[in-house]
Amino acid sequence: MNIEITNVSKKFGNFIALNDVSINIPKGEIIALLGPSGCGKTTLLRIIAGLETPDYGAIKFFGEDFTNKKVKDRNVGFVFQHYALFRHMNIFENIAFGLRVRPKKIRPDKKAIYENVMRLVSLVQLDNFVNRFPSELSGGQRQRVALARALAVEPTVLLLDEPFGALDAKVRKELRLWLRRLHDEIHVTSIFVTHDQDEALEVSDSIVIMNKGKIEQIGSPEAVCDSPVNPFVADFLSDVNRPLVKNKKKKLFDVMNDDRQGI
Amino acid sequence: MTKIRTIHEPLWVKILLFFVSGIFLSVFIVLPLVTIFREALKSGISLYLQTFTDPGVAAAIRLSLLTVLICVPINTFFGVFIAWLITKYEFPGKKILTTVIDLPFSISPVIAGLLFIFMFGSFGWFGTWLMDHDIRIVFAVPGIVLATLFVSFPFVARELTPLMRELGKDDEEAALTLGASGFQIFWKVTLPNIKWGLLYGIILTNARALGEFGAVSVVSGFIRGVTTTMPLYIDILYGEYMFRSAFALASLMTFLALVTIIAKAVLEYYIAAQRKSMEVEIQS
Repeated sequence: MNIEITNVSKKFGNFIALNDVSINIPKGEIIALLGPSGCGKTTLLRIIAGLETPDYGAIKFFGEDFTNKKVKDRNVGFVFQHYALFRHMNIFENIAFGLRVRPKKIRPDKKAIYENVMRLVSLVQLDNFVNRFPSELSGGQRQRVALARALAVEPTVLLLDEPFGALDAKVRKELRLWLRRLHDEIHVTSIFVTHDQDEALEVSDSIVIMNKGKIEQIGSPEAVCDSPVNPFVADFLSDVNRPLVKNKKKKLFDVMNDDRQGI
Repeated sequence: MTKIRTIHEPLWVKILLFFVSGIFLSVFIVLPLVTIFREALKSGISLYLQTFTDPGVAAAIRLSLLTVLICVPINTFFGVFIAWLITKYEFPGKKILTTVIDLPFSISPVIAGLLFIFMFGSFGWFGTWLMDHDIRIVFAVPGIVLATLFVSFPFVARELTPLMRELGKDDEEAALTLGASGFQIFWKVTLPNIKWGLLYGIILTNARALGEFGAVSVVSGFIRGVTTTMPLYIDILYGEYMFRSAFALASLMTFLALVTIIAKAVLEYYIAAQRKSMEVEIQS
């Protein structure tokens, strides 16, 4: 029961965004796609969501081929970098949107929608904000609304594009711990894109390190820190700030230096 | 945001600038406006109102309204359609399309009118075919509608394209991932986002459709009571020394123009407010 990405490639004109990428994401895990900007991580996320189509390769959701499935039929939750909240709707309406647009047959009744939305606002701790509009919320609050809106449709997978990118440093740290705890609570398979090493290490169960459209390494935070497979990974993770890694930092540097000498 | 620097000019410069612009505005804008209403009402309100019962005047008003009622919805629909196409999709020839949209702006209205004569006139491309089927376009109402459609086309698309580009695709993509259909996305997400800009474009389209003279005069043939819109009829009346009627009809058009300006100002206020809220959103 996994999300399988097999040999996915994507070009934009002459630019190779993704070059033969394969990942297997176990159900219920939270995965970070980590890499410098332009490495193809967002493209991969958008391909999983169906917002882009791959030139080659296949996407399978739990055994079913999703490669040519329409976005609206994929049942993914997508959290955009700038949240993309509907500015003319209040928080309640924003979160209820995904339920309200369902075809009549599978649309929950008013009461069920109300209960669902209220459950979600309390999950994201915004109980008192249901009547506010997005412009009246702080960045962190908007981020949580975006998350609640995505969760409202009970997605099979939650996709987050630079979820903390637009927030200031303090809020960012709070929110990523909060996201980790939220995930421990609801266990929805999640994939998030980030260029921030600390963020990836702190939040995810495993990390996919990407560079120039290719995957450099896949592994748990400990694994990628302890044994980077190549100079790029070692260099990219060289200034991470993590207690777990601290006492092993010497080793990490050694590996790096060895590799540099090798070059 | 840049703070506007206060300029400290000597007082006499300020007074001079104030007077120069004041005189300019009075001579070129206020004075003509006043003249129109003064001339129209010179012989009293009852004669003024009588003008509008004249069958020719009434027919002109009706034709203008009909033209507006046909052109504004069509141009609104295609304007939104093209702005959507330009801002949400990548396709070859996009630059050319963006340029072609502006053609009605850059081309002289007389030439725009002549284009329709060349196409649909008796010696035009489709002339023989149209004659055989007894369809009249040029020197008839369809020609007037077509010419007006042409000259008033760009406003909605021009107004919406930068706005929709600024809004980006995120909202629509968010709605898409939440399971909304294309139709739901347009009505529930896109339209509320663009409504002020759209209304602004509609008002400008309306103003141009009502006021168009050049292109319409070429295809009209000036058949009284049949192919004369308000501006054309004003021209006829004036040419026949019926100044009171000419000014009365002109005052009606001026009044509509003033309403347009007020509506425009109100909408600009709302658009500015929306821009501001968009900025706030991006900043935090």
